[in-house]
Amino acid sequence: MNSEQDFTSIYNSYAPKVHRLCLGYASGNNELAKEWLQETFIKVWTHRNSFKGKSSIDTWIYRIAVNVCLGDLRKSRKSITINEALLSNSSTDDNNAINEDTEEKNIKKMYQCIDQLNEQNRALILLELENIPQATIADTVGLAHGTLRTRLSRIRKSLLKCIKNGK
Amino acid sequence: MENDNLNKLWEIQGNDISNFNPKDIITKAKKQRNGQYISITVMSLTVVILIIYTFYFAFNQWNTFNLGLILMISSLTFRIILEFYSVYRKEKQLISMAQKSYHAYLKKYYKIRLIINYVITPVCIAVYLIGFYLLLPYFKEYFSKAFYTYILISGIVSLLVVIAIIIYSAIKEQRFLKQLNKG
Repeated sequence: MNSEQDFTSIYNSYAPKVHRLCLGYASGNNELAKEWLQETFIKVWTHRNSFKGKSSIDTWIYRIAVNVCLGDLRKSRKSITINEALLSNSSTDDNNAINEDTEEKNIKKMYQCIDQLNEQNRALILLELENIPQATIADTVGLAHGTLRTRLSRIRKSLLKCIKNGK
Repeated sequence: MENDNLNKLWEIQGNDISNFNPKDIITKAKKQRNGQYISITVMSLTVVILIIYTFYFAFNQWNTFNLGLILMISSLTFRIILEFYSVYRKEKQLISMAQKSYHAYLKKYYKIRLIINYVITPVCIAVYLIGFYLLLPYFKEYFSKAFYTYILISGIVSLLVVIAIIIYSAIKEQRFLKQLNKG
């Protein structure tokens, strides 16, 4: 990936996934997610020469993205509080467009539930929700492929339970 | 809600990244890199000048003025080099480690930062202050009273501002370490 053209094509392929991954980490705070997305690709460009191809390019990009989100000191309780506030407001909305409201509410609940997971489980489920192959997820997070499947199904169950029951 | 609905729900969320384009990111990355190179060049030049000054001038006519100056500049230089090095190391790990290892690394990193914040930085500030104190009699002798007062007050105020910034970032880092230990 040495030319700007290569970088552009890589950016176009991975940016939407990285953005949603960051959104999950930022509890739906889009401004923060966009900053992390930008930071991720700045690092991808700056360190393109240190990518030796030991892992695949997607693993490398997801690793950088997950680590950028993990290591930001501002990853704050603040953004979570904002979303909790949004959540309580949305429940008092009018009953028009019930489906949209319910979906929006569920997404917010989902962010809140994802936020309750520990760092590793959060990374795992966010990558899984992006339909990233399990081998890539295992490499990105640094887990043995074998343990990943059971872990993911457990996280999915607890996430579903949390979204349904709010716990 | 079925398992599949989790994915459907995830896909519904907005994906507004329209105001970014790869060209802007490359420009920003280049600008950031140039800024880093300039900072490193300035720092290196300062260190070189300090070394030359110490060997050619200060050692020939040793007095408390030279000692004060060297204490001030070297404590500052040491602290800045330490900061650069630790940021550089962290960046290297960020781009090469899997999440699990990076999480463990961050815990270690912020524990070391505690030592830097609570031991090394106060020592550097103390050395800097001793240096500043040693220079004061010379300032008093060579400068007007008004200018001497200005140096004294601005020196103290700027040091207080720096200390406040350091304390603020130390608290932030400590809070983050607590968060990491929970996860």
